[in-house]
Amino acid sequence: MTPPFYIALRFLSHRKRALLLSLSGVVFGVAFFICLQAQTRGFAEYFINSTLGSNGALRVGSRFEPRQTTSLVPPKTSRTNVAHRQYFEGITNVSEIMRVSRQFSNVVACSPILQGTLSARSGFENATVDLYGIEPALHLQTTDLSHQIVDGSLDDFRNKPNSVVVGSRLANRLNVEVGDTVQLLAPGGQYRRFLVAAIVQSGVGSIDSTRMYCHARVAQVLLRKPYAASMIIYKLRDIDRAPALARHFETLFQHDAASWQEREESTLQLFRTLQLSAAITVSLVILLAGFGIFNVLTMMVLSKIKEIAILRSMGYRHVDIRAIFLWQGALVAIAGSLIGCAIGALLTWGVSKIPIHLRGLLSTDYFVVAWDWRHYLWAILLAMISVFIASYVPARRAARLPPVVTLRGSSV
Amino acid sequence: MNGQISLSCRNIERYLGVEEERVHALRGVSLDIAPGTVHAVVGPSGCGKSTLLYILGLLDQPDHGSVMLNSETASHLSDEELSRRRNEFIGFIFQFHFLMEDFTAQENVMIPMRRLGQLSEAAMRERAAELLEAVGLGEKLQRPSRHLSGGEQQRVAIARALANDPSVILADEPTGNLDTDNSHRAFDLLRGLVREKQKALFLVTHNPEIAKACDWIHEMQDGRIMVTVRHDQRSNSGTNET
Repeated sequence: MTPPFYIALRFLSHRKRALLLSLSGVVFGVAFFICLQAQTRGFAEYFINSTLGSNGALRVGSRFEPRQTTSLVPPKTSRTNVAHRQYFEGITNVSEIMRVSRQFSNVVACSPILQGTLSARSGFENATVDLYGIEPALHLQTTDLSHQIVDGSLDDFRNKPNSVVVGSRLANRLNVEVGDTVQLLAPGGQYRRFLVAAIVQSGVGSIDSTRMYCHARVAQVLLRKPYAASMIIYKLRDIDRAPALARHFETLFQHDAASWQEREESTLQLFRTLQLSAAITVSLVILLAGFGIFNVLTMMVLSKIKEIAILRSMGYRHVDIRAIFLWQGALVAIAGSLIGCAIGALLTWGVSKIPIHLRGLLSTDYFVVAWDWRHYLWAILLAMISVFIASYVPARRAARLPPVVTLRGSSV
Repeated sequence: MNGQISLSCRNIERYLGVEEERVHALRGVSLDIAPGTVHAVVGPSGCGKSTLLYILGLLDQPDHGSVMLNSETASHLSDEELSRRRNEFIGFIFQFHFLMEDFTAQENVMIPMRRLGQLSEAAMRERAAELLEAVGLGEKLQRPSRHLSGGEQQRVAIARALANDPSVILADEPTGNLDTDNSHRAFDLLRGLVREKQKALFLVTHNPEIAKACDWIHEMQDGRIMVTVRHDQRSNSGTNET
C-alpha cells in the first residue's frame, strides 16, 4: 500500500458523511445509466430481431436497367445511379440469383417471395392484406416464422395448399381463429376461401396488422403475376455487413437491393435518438455526482491545509499530495461504480418484470431490456472520467499549496 | 568546533511579499550547526527566525546564498530531491505540533517512515512504539491524537520528528504552546535525545530560560544574526563558527 493510498483511505474513512454523499451520487448515476440504456437498447434490439425475423436482413427486389441520359455533363448528386434507373417489376431468374447468392459466405439462407395486396373478408369484417406467397421450407430457413406461431401449426400450412398463416392483429381485425376460413378477393373479382392454419406474432405492429402468408403457387394465381417472385429475402451471418452485400448484389444482379439498415432507417434513427437522449440525461446525473465530489474534495483540501503542510515538511512530494486527493476520488469512483453496476443490474432485472401491454410499433407484454456488458463499461468509464476531472482540480490545488504559508503562522 | 557539520548556510538572502509589501526578511545569514549541539535562535517577532528555519529545513528556497545538508549543497534541487532529503535527514517540530487529528499517536509517528519506505508495516509499528515509549507515551499508542493533552501531543510530535532517525531537528517554538512544566519537560526530553543520539538541534524560541539552556544562542534582528553566544561567552559575529 503506497503512503498516499494509505492516507487517502484514512482521510476518507474519517469523513463518512461526505463519503456517503459522494458515493451515492456515483452509485445512482451509474445504476440509472445502465438501467435506461438496457431499456432503450432492449426495445431497439427487439425491433431489429423482430424485423429481421420476418423480413430478412437483405432484400433483392425489382430488376433495373440504366436509363439513357441526354445530358452531356453527368449530375453530381450521390443518388444519380438510382435516379437514372428504369425498374421492371419482379424477378424472373429467381433460381439463378439464389444459386449465385448462396455462394457468398455471409449468406445463410434465402427465400423467394411473391408479394401483393388483396382484400380479405371474414364474416362481416374486411381488411386489406399484404399477401406473402412463400416456399414454406425455404422461408422457414430464412425467417423466424416457426418461432412466431401463437396458435395453430405450420405443418397444417405446409400440407394444405389452400391454407394461410395470418398475422395476429390482422386475425383480430378479421375476427378469425385457427380452423376458421377467410376469403381473399382475386383481381378478377372472385373470392377464394382459405383455411387459417396458424396465427403468428412477429412483434412488429405494422407486420402483424397486415401480413398473411400463403403458398407461392397460390399467390401467383391469386395475384396474377407473370413472374415467380417479387423479392428474395436473405438471412445473413453478419447482419452489420448487409449494406455492403446489398451494394454488391445490385451491381452483380442488376436488381434493386436493400439492407435492413436502409429499409428500417427511420425507426432505427428513432431508437438511436432515444438512446442518445437517455444517455445524455443520465450522464448529467453522473456529472452532477462529479460536481458533488468536486465540492467534497475542495472542502477537504481546505480543511486539510494544515495536514498537507505537515506532510510536505515530512518529505511528501507534490505528486504524493496530489495522489492523496486523486486516490480519494478514485476510491469513490471505484466503489460507486461497482455498487452502481450491481444496483443497475438489479434495476434492469426488476424493470424486465414490469408488465406492459404494447400493441403499437412493437408488440410486447413486458418491458424489454438488453443485457449488454458495454452499458456497464460505458457507465464505469463515464463515472471514472467525471470523478477524475472533479478530483484533479482540488488535488492540484492541494499539491500547490505552499507549506511555509501555513506553517509560518504570524511570525516572519 | 569539531570538523563535522550537519547543516550550514552561507549568505542567505530572502525577500518575502511582493511590490510595496516586499520585506527583506533575511540579510546575508550564515550559520554552521554541528552534530550533538543545540542552537537557539531568539529575537523579536518578524526578525526572520522562522524564515531561516524553513530555509534550513528545505521547505523554502533562499533568493541568494546556499544551504548545505551533510556537506552537500541542497539549493536548486528538484522537489523530488528536496523532499527525499527532508524525509531522510530532517525532523520538524512545530509550536502547534500539527499532528494528524484522525490518526492515533502511533500512526502519526509512522507517517515519515511510510514515505521513507524502508521498513515493513510491523517494523514501523515497533519503531513507532519504541519512540513513543521513549517520550513517555508507551501507554497511549492507540489513542487518537486529538484525545491527547497539549503536552502529550508535543511529545508525539517529538517522536515523529525522530521517526526516520534524522541528523538534524528543526523546531519552531516547540514549547510556545505549553505551560512552564510541560515546556521544560519537552525541552529536556528533546535535548536529552539530541545529546544521546548526536543530532543537531536548531530551535526558534521566545523562552529565555530555554535559550539559556542551549549550547548556542543566536540573536536575530532585522534579518541578521547580530550576536552569537556560546554558554557565557559572547562573540560579535555575522558568520558564526560553531
